[in-house]
Amino acid sequence: MKALGIDVGSLTTKVVMLDGDGSPTVRITPSGDEPQSSAREALEAVLGQPELNLDHEFCVVSTGMGGKMLPFPHQNKAVTTCLARGVHHLFPSARTAIDIGAESCNVIRVSDRGRINDWVSHDKCAAGTGVFLQKMAKVMHMPLEAMANPSLPAASGPEISSTCAVFAESEVISHVHRDPPTPKEQIIAGIYASVVSRIMILCKRLGIERDVIVVGGVALNGGFVKILEREIGFEVLVPETPQMAAALGAAVIARETLAKGAGR
Amino acid sequence: MIDATERVDKVDSIIRACSVMIRMNKASPDGRESERVYYRILSDYFTRLRNAPDEGKFVAAHTAFFPAEVLYAMGLVPMHTEVTTWMISLFTGECADLLSAGTALGLASEICTPHRGLAGAFAAGSIPRPDVMLWSNLICDNTAKSGELLMDINGCPGFFLDHPFQQSEAERRYLVGELEGMIRFLEEQSGRKMDWDRLAEVVSVMDRQIELFRDICELRKAVPSPFQTQGFLELLTIDYLFPGQPEAITYLETLRRELADRVEKGQGAVPNERFRLMSFFVPPMYLIGFLEKMSQEHGAVSVTEPFFTYWGEGRLDPGRPLESVAQKSYMIPEVRMYGPLDDRAVRSIVDCAEQYRIDGAVYYADVGCRHTCATVKLFKDILNEIDVPVLTIDCDVVDPTITSEEEMREKLEQFFELLEDR
Repeated sequence: MKALGIDVGSLTTKVVMLDGDGSPTVRITPSGDEPQSSAREALEAVLGQPELNLDHEFCVVSTGMGGKMLPFPHQNKAVTTCLARGVHHLFPSARTAIDIGAESCNVIRVSDRGRINDWVSHDKCAAGTGVFLQKMAKVMHMPLEAMANPSLPAASGPEISSTCAVFAESEVISHVHRDPPTPKEQIIAGIYASVVSRIMILCKRLGIERDVIVVGGVALNGGFVKILEREIGFEVLVPETPQMAAALGAAVIARETLAKGAGR
Repeated sequence: MIDATERVDKVDSIIRACSVMIRMNKASPDGRESERVYYRILSDYFTRLRNAPDEGKFVAAHTAFFPAEVLYAMGLVPMHTEVTTWMISLFTGECADLLSAGTALGLASEICTPHRGLAGAFAAGSIPRPDVMLWSNLICDNTAKSGELLMDINGCPGFFLDHPFQQSEAERRYLVGELEGMIRFLEEQSGRKMDWDRLAEVVSVMDRQIELFRDICELRKAVPSPFQTQGFLELLTIDYLFPGQPEAITYLETLRRELADRVEKGQGAVPNERFRLMSFFVPPMYLIGFLEKMSQEHGAVSVTEPFFTYWGEGRLDPGRPLESVAQKSYMIPEVRMYGPLDDRAVRSIVDCAEQYRIDGAVYYADVGCRHTCATVKLFKDILNEIDVPVLTIDCDVVDPTITSEEEMREKLEQFFELLEDR
């Protein structure tokens, strides 16, 4: 019996399969224009099937912004519910999860049972999300991977707007093109500080309880995590594959469903 | 007097929509009699308003929480400005043109949309021009400012009723003095004299009305709750439009009888009640039907609204009618949000949470309403302390561009999952 979790995000689709012993198999693919096809391909790759065949041996739980569009899941769950389960599976000591995806940012309070106690989201503006950092890397004329280098950000940087992605972009452009230009390391520090200040507003609304775990694609950005830790005041936990936390949580829920005998 | 040739498109839309609602209610096997009464008296209210110019009646427009009892006692035709805008949003499904007209007057997009839409509606001639404009600072500081603008737009005289923040004897006397000043103003403007005997009757009916509100609240404590989620909006409208009016009694008595019957039979408002909710502030009017559907789908029902349906203690004395009108303004549920928040407000939230056995609370944080949004964190902390989760939804009561149906669905479903998982 296999439990599958699938998280259809705006940029990538993540599939996690939990075997009987609980070890995960992960597949991450671009969501593309047709999330259904991407999800099907990702599932086929994880299952090693040339043609998707979800028989009674499987239970599939979907989540993410495109999760409801898929025809094959057994059930669909909110991303916050899945994140709580996923981070608890990864780090049972985690009580606060900061999830920064491509187009959203959630801060979640997690119970000692991996249940969601409360959450707050920022979904009205790209400021404070992954696509904002992508955009900034483009303006800085450097690959995002290079900008993510933890040793790159300076100790401090210029103030960059945290309320509007468009204003922030204009500000960064003016720093890049002024004479002399603001040092790159300082601009990057300013960009990260802008995202972090947005996240800290959410954290303060909810209250931060240790341990804090950072998940979502932006957690792969070491430079950003460094500035976040500086602002929070202590080290945060970052899993090896932080972008699959919600899919993992969905797989955990699928496994629970199978255990109850309610799967396919 | 109102120029009879002026356009009253939006009021006509409300009246037409009420007839449709009555027809739909009659066609439905589960249609509540109280709902039919509600739409009938709502239609009558707006018909009176529409016909006022032809009948030579004097129209007094007033903002929310204004003591309309006085207007009824003087035989004037009241027009509740905020409810009129709400109804336009609810029944026409949009009020974008009115909001745009308000913006064209120079009102910033951050300004309270019922007031911006209202200014636009008056400027566009979409609702009747009143003979006088009456406004107050009770509950809403925005109203204190917008009333003056509405008076200017309408080119009519107006009166600002200054309501004190506190409740000492001196302040109550001051409020009675303000009411006397307003009556003098209205007598001068309308040429009609205050009928004090009629005001005493209105106060007597209002006292009965408050008792019925309390009875209905008691019935909503039952598990399962007998009243549908968005039903509380009916209660609000009844209080806002028909204070001390016999038609309000007809509605409330019908509703109370129906709810008592349902409680006796153990019938809930939703087929399978799973989540009992507390609601703060007003949900988006343009999503009322959708929210009711969500309520049915998920077995989630709003059972209490501490700042809208939970009346304060006290009785009104028809022997002292004007003092009673002043007294009522200190008993309305909304007054707990007025001025500095005191222990009463905090206590009422905890009391309601316990008495109504709620599982969670939903705060409809109207982005244009500064003073209610300022309480989001405070109320959330209070409820979290007694282990009640709170969902805050940034939205607007009439402007659909702030929150879409899909966003609302996503947030509510997340919240219901949270409640289910506990």
